[in-house]
Formats: sequence, C-alpha cells, structure tokens
Amino acid sequence: MGNGTMGLSLIKRLSSGTAPYLYLAILLVILAYFLSLATQDSSQLNDLFLLIFGLAIVISLLLIALLARSFYKLYHDYKNKTEGSRLTVRLVSLFVLLIILSTSIVYGFSIHFLHRGINSWFDVEIEQALNDALELSRSSLGIRMRTMLRQTRMMSGVLSELPDKDLNHNVHELTKLSGAFEVSIWDLNGQLVISSIGNNSILLPSRPSETIFNQIKKKEDYISLDPSEESGFLLRAAVRLPKKLPAQPERFLQVIFPVDERLSALGKKVHNAYSNYKELSYLRKPLITIFTLTLSLIVLLTTLASIWFAIWISRRIVQPLQDLSAGTQAVAAGNYNMQLSAQGHDEVGFLVRSFNQMTQRLTHARNANQASHRKLEQQTNHLTTVLGSLSSGVITIDNKHFIRSANIASSKILDVDLQQRLEGMVSNLSTHHPKLTPLTLVIEQHFSLKQSWQQQVEIQQQKGLQTLICHGTPLPDDTGYVIVFDDVTALLQAQRNAAWGEVAKRLAHEIKNPLTPIQLSAERLQHKYLPLVPSDQAETLTKLTKTIVQQVEAMKGMVNDFSDYARNPGLTLSQQDIGELIHDVLTLYQSNPHHHFTLLNSPKKISLNIDANRFRQVLHNLLKNAIEASEEANMPVDIIVSYHLMKQDSISLLEITIRDHGPGIADDKLHSIFEPYATNKQKGSGLGLAIVKKIIEEHHGHVWAENTGDNGACIIIHLPTTIEER
Amino acid sequence: MPASSIAKLFLLLIFSMPLHAEIFNIEYARVSKIGNGYVLNAQINYPLTARVKEAITNSVPIVFSQQIKLIRHTPILGKYWSWERTPWLTEIRYELRYHALSQQYIVRNLGTLNQRSYPTLSDALHELGHINALTLPPEHMPDTDGLELHLRSELDLYALPTPMRPGALLSKKWQLASPWVTAQWD
Repeated sequence: MGNGTMGLSLIKRLSSGTAPYLYLAILLVILAYFLSLATQDSSQLNDLFLLIFGLAIVISLLLIALLARSFYKLYHDYKNKTEGSRLTVRLVSLFVLLIILSTSIVYGFSIHFLHRGINSWFDVEIEQALNDALELSRSSLGIRMRTMLRQTRMMSGVLSELPDKDLNHNVHELTKLSGAFEVSIWDLNGQLVISSIGNNSILLPSRPSETIFNQIKKKEDYISLDPSEESGFLLRAAVRLPKKLPAQPERFLQVIFPVDERLSALGKKVHNAYSNYKELSYLRKPLITIFTLTLSLIVLLTTLASIWFAIWISRRIVQPLQDLSAGTQAVAAGNYNMQLSAQGHDEVGFLVRSFNQMTQRLTHARNANQASHRKLEQQTNHLTTVLGSLSSGVITIDNKHFIRSANIASSKILDVDLQQRLEGMVSNLSTHHPKLTPLTLVIEQHFSLKQSWQQQVEIQQQKGLQTLICHGTPLPDDTGYVIVFDDVTALLQAQRNAAWGEVAKRLAHEIKNPLTPIQLSAERLQHKYLPLVPSDQAETLTKLTKTIVQQVEAMKGMVNDFSDYARNPGLTLSQQDIGELIHDVLTLYQSNPHHHFTLLNSPKKISLNIDANRFRQVLHNLLKNAIEASEEANMPVDIIVSYHLMKQDSISLLEITIRDHGPGIADDKLHSIFEPYATNKQKGSGLGLAIVKKIIEEHHGHVWAENTGDNGACIIIHLPTTIEER
Repeated sequence: MPASSIAKLFLLLIFSMPLHAEIFNIEYARVSKIGNGYVLNAQINYPLTARVKEAITNSVPIVFSQQIKLIRHTPILGKYWSWERTPWLTEIRYELRYHALSQQYIVRNLGTLNQRSYPTLSDALHELGHINALTLPPEHMPDTDGLELHLRSELDLYALPTPMRPGALLSKKWQLASPWVTAQWD
C-alpha cells in the first residue's frame, strides 16, 4: 500500500513541473549523441543506426503531436480571449521566430560545411595520380608476369621432351632452379599428374580454377596475378604441355611464382590506397545523404523540442502576469483580500509580492475606512439624537439656501413637518406655509451678512401669536448657516402673568381696604342725613349714596376678581368625571327659558385629574362670557358644549369646545381676548377670560378662541389627560 | 543479430514495402550418401543488379550468406500435422570484392578465411554459388526419415559500409535473396 502510494507520488513528481522537460532534453541529447555515433563506421552502434533513426523519427512525430496540441490550445485560448493568451501568443511567436531563424542559419551553414568537408576529401588530381600509380604497378607487375610466362613455357618445353618416369625428378629440379612456389602438371580432366612444392609444410598443390581449365582447353596460355593474404601477390601461370604422342592425354603445367617482396608490398600499398579512395568516392553520395539526414533529424528534434519548451516557458512567464491580471480585476471588483502565490525571486516575483502587499494595505485601509465610517455614523447618530432631544429647533441651511437638516423640535415648534421640506429652498417654505414668512424673511435677510445674529420673530400660529428667539451662526468654510430658535411665548406669557398678578395683588390690597369704610360711610351718611335734608334733596342724597354704594360694590367685585386672578393657591387635584362636571355647571344655567344649552356627550366616561372648583370657575366664566356676548348683541343664546378625547403629536388630550351663536370676535382681538382688560363687552372686569387662561395653563393646557364659519365664536380647551400636581 | 531484426521489423512497420525481391535462385540442391556420411551438392545462381555490380566495381565488398538447415518432421496426426524442429543450422558467408590491381574478383570464405581469385565476375559468382560435397553433420543424421534439408541465400546488407546501409535496406535493387529450397535426397 505504502509502496504503491510512494510509486504514484514519484510518477506524479516526475511528470509535473519542469521534470518532463528536463528528461526530454536529456533524452534528446543522448539520442543526438547516439545518432552521430551510429554514423561512424567504426561504431558498434552502426547496426542500430536504423533503430536509433527510427526512434528519433518516432520522437519527432510525438513532439509534432504534442506541439500541435499545444498550438491548438493556444489558438483556442486566443480565440476565446482567455486571460494572458495574447501575451503568450506574442511570446511564443517571438521565440518560434528566433528558434527557426537561428536553427535555419546554423542548419544551412552546417549542411554547407558538411558538403564542402566531404567533397574536399576528393580531388581530380589525386584520383588521377592514384589511377596512374595503379597503372604503373600493373605495368611493373606485367613485365614480371610476361617473364614468368616465358619461363613457364620454357619449362613446359623442357618437360615435354622428358619421359614420364623422369618427370618427377625434373619437376623438383625445375622448381628449385626457377624459384617457384609450386610446379604441378594436370590433365584436362582435373587429375593431378605430378607436383613439386617448394614449401615442405604444404602437401597438396593449389587446384587450378575452372577458368584455367577452360582457357587451356581453348589452347591458350594463362597468367594471372593472384592476391594472397599471406605473401602479398602470387603469379599463376598455366601452359599446355606439347604432346609427344597423339594418344597421350592433354596436360598442362601450372607454375606459381612468388612476386618480389618489395614490389609486392608497394603494389599492395598502391592498391589499398586506390581501393579505399575508390570506395570512399563511391560512398560520397550516401555519406552526404546520411549525414544530412542525421543532421536534419537532430535539427528537427532540437527545433521541435525548443518550440515546445518555448511554449512552456511562455506560459510559465505569462502565468504570474495572468494571475496578476486576474488579481487586479478582483481588486477592481472590490475583492481586496486577493493574495497571489509568489514564486521566484525575479522581477515578476517581486511584482507579485508587491501586489500582495498592496492588497494587504488596501484591506487595512478599507477596514480603517469602514471603521471611521462607522464612527462617523455613530457620531452622526449621536448628534441626531442630541439634536432630536433638544427642545430648541435647529435647522441647517447650505450656502445655496437649501434646507439640509431640521431636528424634531424645529417641526414641533413651528407646527410644520420640516422633514418633508428638506432639500428645499428656504423661500419655498413660506410659499407652502405662509405663517412662516416672518421667519424666512429674517433668515434670508441675514444670509448675506455671514456673521452670527440673533433676533426675535413673531409667528401667527393657530393657537396664538408665537414668539421665537432665533440665533443664526454661519457654518465653517462658508458652507451655510445653522439656525437655532426657541419658543419663548410661554415664557413671555408667564412674565406678563406675573406682572398682572403683581398689579392685581397690589390693587386688591390697596383698594379693597378703603372700600368697606367708604361703603359703610356712604350708608351711614344716607342713614344719618336723609332725615335732615329737605325732601326735595332727599332723593338726590339717596341717589348719590346709592351710587357710591353701588360703585363700591362694583369696585369690590372688581377687586375680588383681581384677588382671584392674583391668587395662586395651588391646585387641589382629584379624579373628576368631566361629563358630570360640565353637566352640573350647565344645570345652574337652565333656569332661563331663553337660553339653550346643548351638551354633546362623549361616548365614554372620561375621568381627569383636575381641580374641580377652579375648573367650575373656568366653565362659569366661559358660559357667562358667551351668554353676555349674545345678549349684548341681542342675539339668541344658543350654546353648544362638547368634550372628547383626541391625540395630537402622540399626546392624549381632552378637548372641550364651547360654541355660541353670538356676534363672534373681531379678528384683531381674536388672539388677545385672553389678556387682562382685552374685553369688548360693556360689562365685566376684563379678567374673566384671563382667569380662564390662567387656570387652564395651571393645568398645563391650552385655550384659544376661533370664529366659527357662519356666526359665533368657539372657545377651545386642550387638557393633557395626565396632569401632574405642582 | 537481433538488433538488425528489430530494425527491419521497424522499417517494415514504417514503410511497409517489400523487403525481399527474391531474385537469387537455387538451380539444384542434392544430398548424396557417400560412405556412411551425407554430402550436399548445390548450385546457387546469383544474378546481380546493376546497382550491386556498380558497388563491386567501386571496391565495395559484398557479403553473401548461404543458410543451410536440417529440419526433422515428427508426425503427430499422421500426414496432416507434424512437429517440426531444426536440429542443425549453419550459415556460410562469402565476401566478394574486386581487386583493381590484379583485375581479379576475390571470393573469400569469412569462416575459413580461404580466398580464391577469378578473372571475371561471372566466374567468381559461379564458384561462389557452387556448393561441392559439403559434409553434413552425421550426429544429426542417424536416420533420414522425416529429415529435410533447406537452403537459401541472400545478400547481407548489414555488412555494407554504414553510409550505404540505410539506402540499401530501403532500396529494392539491393533486396537480393532466394527462397528456402528443399534439397533432394539421392
């Protein structure tokens, strides 16, 4: 199991990365070496030449197939515009061009030098010289051959004269005398007649060839130069033996002579040189062909391998750039966490490491940015919360007079939803809400001054005149203004109330005290002096004292009113049913048949924590006021009272309305009738409605007057449903 | 020579062309009994192509190979099927070259290194093709029943000088050989 895994991992390691290319390069070098070795004649490998050659062709085909695959892949990538394919194609084209150019030059020159080198071995003059030398040797040996033939003929002449019995002895003698190797006599049937051999170690003479027999049969003599392995050359001569008797069988003499050692050696040398030259000359064409083929194959292999390597190296060069490109796109798309694997210590590796550093820094920067953004958001939220919780209204306006922000309090104070008016012009505010015109005018006026300002502005609200204190401060870098305003209406009212209270208190104190003695004195004056004065004047006296008493009573009433107004006894709160309370008060006014009262009941019982006595006073004052107003105008007294719960700004309120059908209230008085001495009635102290307002405000409520559409006026009271005891 | 066989096979696969144009022929082949032994007499004709003759004239040595083998047939299913084995196989190689100085054609037995020279090429080839009373091994011939002698001859192209070899191996003009011929028993 372990071995199998090891084997697999080894194969994987050997077939991945640069390893296959290294093996291929080594294989090619070995192959080229063997190929060149096999072309050498002396090599043991030359039997394997075709095998090696075939192997080289197979490898070439394999390489061509691999290249075709690589090129197709490259073309496919290029066509599909794969990342980095253009650069790869450019690099590969460049490499291929360089490889083909350089190998073509080297190949061309090599072929040229090869042809020239091999052809330079051959020379016409050398060839001629060798031919001449061979001819010379032949001539030289030819003389010897002719001499030997003559000698053989002479020997045959001598031997033909001898009887057969003497042949043996004479052949031996002739062998010795002539210096021949061997002398033999043969018949034409191939039978040996007699022989003599100079060398004792050889037993049998050399049998003449069929050619000699044939030639002798044709009655021709034979002489030949026979190359011999041991002794250079031998001269073989064969001559027919003349017949002494016609019945005698045909015979011939064969004599083998040695050739002079020096002549033999020289002839051998000349022949060797000639035949080597001849063979080499003959082999010139195949030699050139085979060398050219070998060289071409090696060049082809090298070129193919180089191109393959070029593709591989191009891909290897482009790969990190491709990664970088993909990384850059990822960064452009917002993925800052992109990290590339950095390989190598070259410039590209440096670039990749720089990229990684850049993305790391970008990530840090983005994180920091996000953190600061969050912090800013928190601060904005904080500021918005602070502004929202402020009781003062805050509005920011940019330098182009657009409203940029407004807090909740500003909308509440102005009774306008400013959130809907954000991003709108300040001047547009008065178009939509004409009541805000004084405020917008003030803001517009101060805008160009570029300095802080403060001004009181009065706005006509539905509930009355509202007094605002506005502060304007320019924002830094002339980016606009911040307007802060406070509703000081209540404060002013309180001040006014306090002043009136003080007046009332003093009046009550200073006037009430002398009134009783004045009344008593007037009554005593009448009582004492009425009998004393003449009867014609008694009536006058009575009238005068009566007037004094009446006026004092009136003054007392007035002083009591003042006293009531000035009195601040504190509220005695208790849960009261509002409907019942109103009903009780109305009951007191039911006696006059000309007076009509209608109570619109709320569907459910409403209990409120109020001071019952003071609230009764409020109702009395309002009803009295309504009755008096109608009566003074000689209009029917028809009063409608209603009460119900309602919600305003998510605050639960009790609304009570008292509506008459009288003359209504003059517009200029509408907002001041609750002020002391603002009455338009002939009767009354002028404090009734002021007291109403005071009591309602003590209950944290609001009261105001409106003219109804047809005729008459309506007094509206808003009371919060929860009233805290002061 | 396994390497050459592989090379041949390889070339056969690649080029798939006929390697042997069998133009050598065996005129006769006879096995005769002389005494207790047997001898082979045969005549092989070597008609050479102009290309081969040109090489010889240019001093290129040419090697001829004569292959002789004894085959014993042991019948297993009567005459339909028999088991063959080769008890004896021999090869006689001759080198033929032209000696320019003597203007002779030298035939040399590469086994015994004996050589003879002939004034003409046809004489040399005739002598080369003549097998005269070649003694057959008596140890492999206790009986001649089911025994056959096969003979063939070819040019040994691997003995050519290296530069010529690829061309010769691929050229039809060099593909000279005879088929196997069965010798007659006298």
